[in-house]
Amino acid sequence: MPKKILFVEDDEGFFNIFSVPLKMKGYDVVHVPDGSAAVEKVITEKPDLVLLDIVLPGMSGLDILKELREREETSVVKIIMLTNFGNDDNVAKAMDYGSDDYLMKYNIVPSELPDKIASLLGEDAEFGVKMMES
Amino acid sequence: MNQIYLLNILVILESIVLLVISILLFSKTKNLTKLKQYEEEFIKSQAKKQATQDDFLPMLVHELRSPLSVIQGAADLLIKSTDDLSSEQIHTLLNQIKTSSSTLLGMVGSILDVSKMESGRFEINKTFSDINPVLRDECSYFDSLAKIKEIALDCQTDEHLPSFNFDPERIKQVLNNLISNAIKFNTSGGSISIISKKVDGACRVEICDTGVGISDKEKPFLFQKFFQASNQDGVQKGTGLGLVISKGIVEAHGGKIWVEDNKPKGTKFIFVIPTK
Repeated sequence: MPKKILFVEDDEGFFNIFSVPLKMKGYDVVHVPDGSAAVEKVITEKPDLVLLDIVLPGMSGLDILKELREREETSVVKIIMLTNFGNDDNVAKAMDYGSDDYLMKYNIVPSELPDKIASLLGEDAEFGVKMMES
Repeated sequence: MNQIYLLNILVILESIVLLVISILLFSKTKNLTKLKQYEEEFIKSQAKKQATQDDFLPMLVHELRSPLSVIQGAADLLIKSTDDLSSEQIHTLLNQIKTSSSTLLGMVGSILDVSKMESGRFEINKTFSDINPVLRDECSYFDSLAKIKEIALDCQTDEHLPSFNFDPERIKQVLNNLISNAIKFNTSGGSISIISKKVDGACRVEICDTGVGISDKEKPFLFQKFFQASNQDGVQKGTGLGLVISKGIVEAHGGKIWVEDNKPKGTKFIFVIPTK
């Protein structure tokens, strides 16, 4: 059974691009474009990992993170913040709320993303290396 | 006796001079206090202005980075995974690069426009035209987006409006900004009306929506750089320059732009441009 990634991202273009290598790796990627639907989706979809933007309509990524950590059923899900909103306050707040990683969109290219996820999920990073070499 | 009389006069004169000096000094001190108050108020207002800009600059940077991340990401996939991508995926990625580049160019254009407006170097190219077709074109342009969001969009043009000198491209930019905001802050089942009217020596355009509205507290700040109304949940996107530019464009035509409540619900943006 493929591992499931919930990708909370309102920028369609960014989602289309960054979901390609994840799907190629074999992950089941579920797209959530609206912040207000994110918590509910995590509860119903039970993903292995959540990729979470901060600047979202409906509810901010930091509020989603806080609520996910506070709820018993979602408190241990792996969460990576993936945003272009990188001031120190936000990073500190995200880490304080319990984010597993904080990635800046402009600092990472799609081919590197599967490696980051694989390492967090305790998988090997072979695919990412292959993509980097090709 | 004369000496005593003279001395008395001198004492009185000295007292008068001292009194005048005291009054002058007192008034000067009063002015200084006033000046000090002005200075403190100015420092406070500047600090507030700076704080507003400091708050919104990270958002501007975020908005500039977003299309860049997409371009960088698409290019990365095209370079490293070409063999694994279908021709359709390659086409989609190239389209993303094109769209994001246009978005980025638009933002850079907005920043340049504001910079020119602030330094008094902003210029418009007026031509003698009819504004109604411009309004109708803009309505058609936004029609599909409004339909997707289930918002009714209608255009009511006053056919008695005479042709006049204006910059059609820049007026399109104003309408683009106001209509996209009206859609963005509206809800499913809502409506937007674009209305042109001939008023005394001028053309009046109204963009009325039934959206979430703008609070009275926030109205005075709407046309300020980087300001974004907090009328939606979540974090608001955008450069916060659209309304500043719209105001600059309307004023460059010798006109005026303002906002009112669209009773019973929503917001009404109105701009008036002289036709003579």
